[in-house]
Amino acid sequence: MHCRDNREEIHRTGEIPRILLIGNPNVGKSVIFSKLTGHEVMASNYAGTTVSYSSGKAKLYGKQAVITDVPGMYSLEATSSAEEVALNLLNAGADTVICVLDATNLERNLNFALQLKERGLPLVFALNLVDVAEQKGIYIDVLALQKELGFPVIPTVAVRNIGLAELMSKAFAAAAQPGNARKNHVLSSEERWKEVGRIIGIVQKVEHRHPTFWERLGDSMIMPFPGLLIAALVLAASLGVVVGGGKGLRAGLLLPLVNDFYVPFVSNLVSSFIPEGMIRNILIGDYGILIKSIEWPFALILPYVFLFYIVLSFLEDTGYLPRLGVLADGIMRRLGIQGGDLIPMMIGYGCAVPAILGTRAATTFKQRLIVSALVVLAVPCASQTGAFVALLGDQSVLVLLLVYFISLCVIFLSGMLLKRIVPGQSDTILIEVPNLLIPNTHALFKKMWIRIKHFMIEAGIPMLFGVAIAALVAETGVLVNFSKLMEPIVVNWLGLPGEASLSLILGVLRRELAVMPLLEMELSTVQLLIGSLVALFYMPCLTVLGVLIKEFGVRVAAAISVSTIIFALFFAGLINQAINLILSIV
Amino acid sequence: MSLYKIKKATNCIIESVPAHKILEALGIRKGVNVRVLIRQPFGGPVVIRVGQRDIAVSHEYAKQITVKEVV
Ligand SMILES: Nc1nc2c(ncn2[C@@H]2O[C@H](COP(=O)(O)OP(=O)(O)O)[C@@H](O)[C@H]2O)c(=O)[nH]1
Repeated sequence: MHCRDNREEIHRTGEIPRILLIGNPNVGKSVIFSKLTGHEVMASNYAGTTVSYSSGKAKLYGKQAVITDVPGMYSLEATSSAEEVALNLLNAGADTVICVLDATNLERNLNFALQLKERGLPLVFALNLVDVAEQKGIYIDVLALQKELGFPVIPTVAVRNIGLAELMSKAFAAAAQPGNARKNHVLSSEERWKEVGRIIGIVQKVEHRHPTFWERLGDSMIMPFPGLLIAALVLAASLGVVVGGGKGLRAGLLLPLVNDFYVPFVSNLVSSFIPEGMIRNILIGDYGILIKSIEWPFALILPYVFLFYIVLSFLEDTGYLPRLGVLADGIMRRLGIQGGDLIPMMIGYGCAVPAILGTRAATTFKQRLIVSALVVLAVPCASQTGAFVALLGDQSVLVLLLVYFISLCVIFLSGMLLKRIVPGQSDTILIEVPNLLIPNTHALFKKMWIRIKHFMIEAGIPMLFGVAIAALVAETGVLVNFSKLMEPIVVNWLGLPGEASLSLILGVLRRELAVMPLLEMELSTVQLLIGSLVALFYMPCLTVLGVLIKEFGVRVAAAISVSTIIFALFFAGLINQAINLILSIV
Repeated sequence: MSLYKIKKATNCIIESVPAHKILEALGIRKGVNVRVLIRQPFGGPVVIRVGQRDIAVSHEYAKQITVKEVV
């Protein structure tokens, strides 16, 4: 989702037609958009994938068009900030509007189609997901539908590129002859549904089928039993893949590569050219730039980020996440949010940036704010998870579990608090449960690739900065002075070694950098726990701060940052003091 | 009877729906057939099947929707 912000200015030129891609949520718009434009956007199997628009150029037979992927909307009235964006785009007008219809759910999609028709928009319809519809025994007479709608209707299977070339050529043809659409009589909602019913009667045949295995599985996932059992299994399996798989990748491949080949090689190389002293230490010392800039991101963090995104992308594309949201709604209500908000929170375990942007699909400001605040405060991102596993995984798995348990408790308690103090209202749950789909491997890999690439760019550079700062402050003596300054907090209150103040400096840049310096220190189990808690609750990274400012304004962003810093230091210190007290009594 | 009170797996017809854009857009409207698939515990939603689709509706909304059993 974070890739959607590279908006291109859409110019109205005589030659290049402008095409809007619109439809109900989760009908396959994102897939169609990325296939048509070659742009990399992410598609997911739930409503609210597209929360801001992106534009790109599509070419066909030497002709060009600018296509804009509009956030999904249920009707021509805005109910969320994502839908507002959509309406504004629609009001700005276009040469052609491609409306994507979901063949598995034609009735509702037709209602939307008729609303567009009434507006007098120049339309072309894509009847998508016809493969899934046929599996369900739904057959649609395309020619009859075309006649009823009065505009071209092209059946498509977007993920397999079927029908898209024809769709584009019809869109170009429509753009070339404007004036084809006329404003229709505006129907009342009742009349419109009646009309939908009439059309459905003519064009759709539903064969009664026994529910397939997938349909039955999809249904059982939302039953408390066996749904909660399945949820526990899915979460355990996900954790196993990310933590276990990550450890395996590291131990078996990445650490040997770095420690046995890269580090000796670079150390020898540098030692033979540069005499002992500060410069050599900056390059290959304790926080040596040349060592840590490779070891930290690649050997420690990347495997976890990679595996996390495999799992998340898989869960997104199957349509499991909204089902989990339905199960979790009863609990989430207590936090002033609801089951539909589970998805941005889960995405937050990858990175807070797309999580915060994803809240645009939420219908109220209060929900957006609460979800964002919770993610920023207590949801560790994938990089930070990697850092935690690196720090705790070998010596004390229990502490690792404890950190995550405390994180959940804090999410819960601060949610209950925010529910009371954030003004405004939250909407209760009203979401569609999508079809349970077997993910398309091509789409899955593409999404993975976008996310990993994004991670490399977004994380690589700040991490390099972080490593450089660490090397400089450690080797020039600045760290010693800063540590003295912070001694009352870091040493006396938190019980950490003075050197750990480096975490507080680096943590501003990125969340995992607040953990990494702890790796280089010999810490006791209690210190490991306390250091991890500080890092977990510490302020959002710089990128996230930027997004918070953009989405909520400087005041809210500053309030969130300051309160997270204070909470991190206060809470972790409190735990430290409590443990010490208990230990001194025992 | 309110949709929230209806027994699981009973076929019903919707009699009245509060005016709400998303409810309407999701196809939850007067005269439509619905069936409750499951009622979630802890104040969670009911999941209903409308046409080909499953929709999770919070109990607040469900209580405002009235339905009639079809026999
Ligand atoms: N089997 C099948 N899956 C599709 C098709 N089109 C889209 N999908 C899947 O449907 C889901 C929703 O697509 P997406 O593009 O995110 O919908 P959007 O919300 O309208 O942008 C994704 O998981 C896609 O991979 C199709 O024609 N056939």
